Amino acid sequence: MDYTRKFTEKLSVEQAKIELLNIAYGNGDTFFARLDPRTLFLWYSYFGIAPWFIHQEYILIGMLVFMVITTYIAKVSPLIIVILCLGLLGQGGYLLIIALFFGGNLTTMLPLLILTTKLSVITLASVTVFCSMNPDKLSNGLLKIGVPGQVSFSIAYGYRMLPSLLEEYHHVFQSFRLRGRAPDKKGFLFIRSIAYFVKLAVLSFYPLLLSTAKRARTTVEALETKGSMYGFNHPEVKRLKLEELQMTRKDYLFLIGSFLYVVCLFIFL
Amino acid sequence: MSTIEERYTLTQSQKMMVFILSMSLYGLSNMITELVPSAYLGPIEFSIEYFAFIPLTLCILFHPLYAAIGASLGEVIFGEIMLGQFGGFGELEKFIAFSLAMYIAGTFVRDPKNKVQVGIAAMLGVAIHQAISVTVDILKVWIGVEELEAVPGLAESVVIVEGFAFFNDLLFSGILFALIPTVYLVPRLYGKIEPLLGMKPRDRNDKYSLKEIIGLRLVVLAVFLAISAFFFEYLSESDFNMEWEADFLEMFGEWYIWVSMAVAAMVAIITIVVMLRKKTNWNDKEKKVS
Repeated sequence: MDYTRKFTEKLSVEQAKIELLNIAYGNGDTFFARLDPRTLFLWYSYFGIAPWFIHQEYILIGMLVFMVITTYIAKVSPLIIVILCLGLLGQGGYLLIIALFFGGNLTTMLPLLILTTKLSVITLASVTVFCSMNPDKLSNGLLKIGVPGQVSFSIAYGYRMLPSLLEEYHHVFQSFRLRGRAPDKKGFLFIRSIAYFVKLAVLSFYPLLLSTAKRARTTVEALETKGSMYGFNHPEVKRLKLEELQMTRKDYLFLIGSFLYVVCLFIFL
Repeated sequence: MSTIEERYTLTQSQKMMVFILSMSLYGLSNMITELVPSAYLGPIEFSIEYFAFIPLTLCILFHPLYAAIGASLGEVIFGEIMLGQFGGFGELEKFIAFSLAMYIAGTFVRDPKNKVQVGIAAMLGVAIHQAISVTVDILKVWIGVEELEAVPGLAESVVIVEGFAFFNDLLFSGILFALIPTVYLVPRLYGKIEPLLGMKPRDRNDKYSLKEIIGLRLVVLAVFLAISAFFFEYLSESDFNMEWEADFLEMFGEWYIWVSMAVAAMVAIITIVVMLRKKTNWNDKEKKVS
């Protein structure tokens, strides 16, 4: 509980907003950020699926090494890596303990290790790809591969609106706290305080639902005025918007390099 | 008469409004739940899994399809991409499962003022979502580990961990963050929030295309049945129950009965709902004609 309190003390709304923008726009100068989104999608579509169907340990380990290198090049923030590692270890360990309980022995370890390796390859691939694309690039790339215009609009809208939504939520929450009365006793394991805050967190959504409804209406009216509904799915508009996306020599070299690496893995291991 | 029948068809911009509303609100709530730490009591995790009441409320009050898709997209964008945790293909499964569950919950409610209906729909939505994600999780381990049955104890442990998580989520998150808030919010927002988007509130006789609903429900049922059948078939074929033949067979038998009973109950409920709906439509039409 002490840990939680420290955690919440450090976590202010302002800081959260800054952190978000940092994640979104922080690493625009890495090697991966300069590649075309389509290259990244293509690359990911192999490394995101193929590991599920590979059972040879050495190939998986080779892939893992490759992923670690790409993650390093992509300069993914350490916080994300730590969260990922904890998640993977937690899941694997939990399964292991219960498997031991049901009469498994240390041979249970190996398949679980392989599973964890697979999951790490997949998650590292996705982290590499999606952390090195800023929102504009991601939404343009999605538009290019045929995802409806509403989705790419939503990504842009999310980045634009989230800071103000968070702030509004924070205001509502604080005003509930001002008007309400915190429980006198903390209760066993802070249970009363937690229940009180959770209740406030839920109640704060009631005013927010109404104000967001208004906001949504304003947004859609503005979109209509600008003719965006027409633009979302019109080929000519799309072509103009996405003209800047170009596959360059770098993209082809990267794809060929990865392909050769995987082929080598299969041949030599 | 036709204008009355078609009153609840939404314009393109109204659909977009519902979509944006649902996306930004559920996205925001997702970000909050991601940031709130969770507490463990032994293997039981007390965490705020998700604020399911937001999409549930919106699906019940507005057109369920757009609210459901908006909520899932909001989760992916705010809760994953913006926090730098986007999982790629893994998100696709979440996206489908969540929108399906919310959509079904939304179509289940015919009268938003009826608290019993709203409550059942809320629990139904959470249960469907959890059932699908548990099934997918088990399948993941099964595909990921070669010759699962050769590893002693792994299969049972997976089933038990996931089954436990299912009931934990259903009873803890489901009641605290889906059932109670939804039952509290829906009657209060009904009639207040719709005018802000320039729409009329849903009323008892509004209906979505009946074909659409039946089609979807059947598809869900079929998929669910197929998956569970596949899974149980697999369980029965694998010989991991060597040591505990008697116990485990009994357990397995019981589960199977429960599954088939649940399916039967679902089919029965759906038939009754459809029949009632048809009947009321028929009566309405007759009244209008006379």
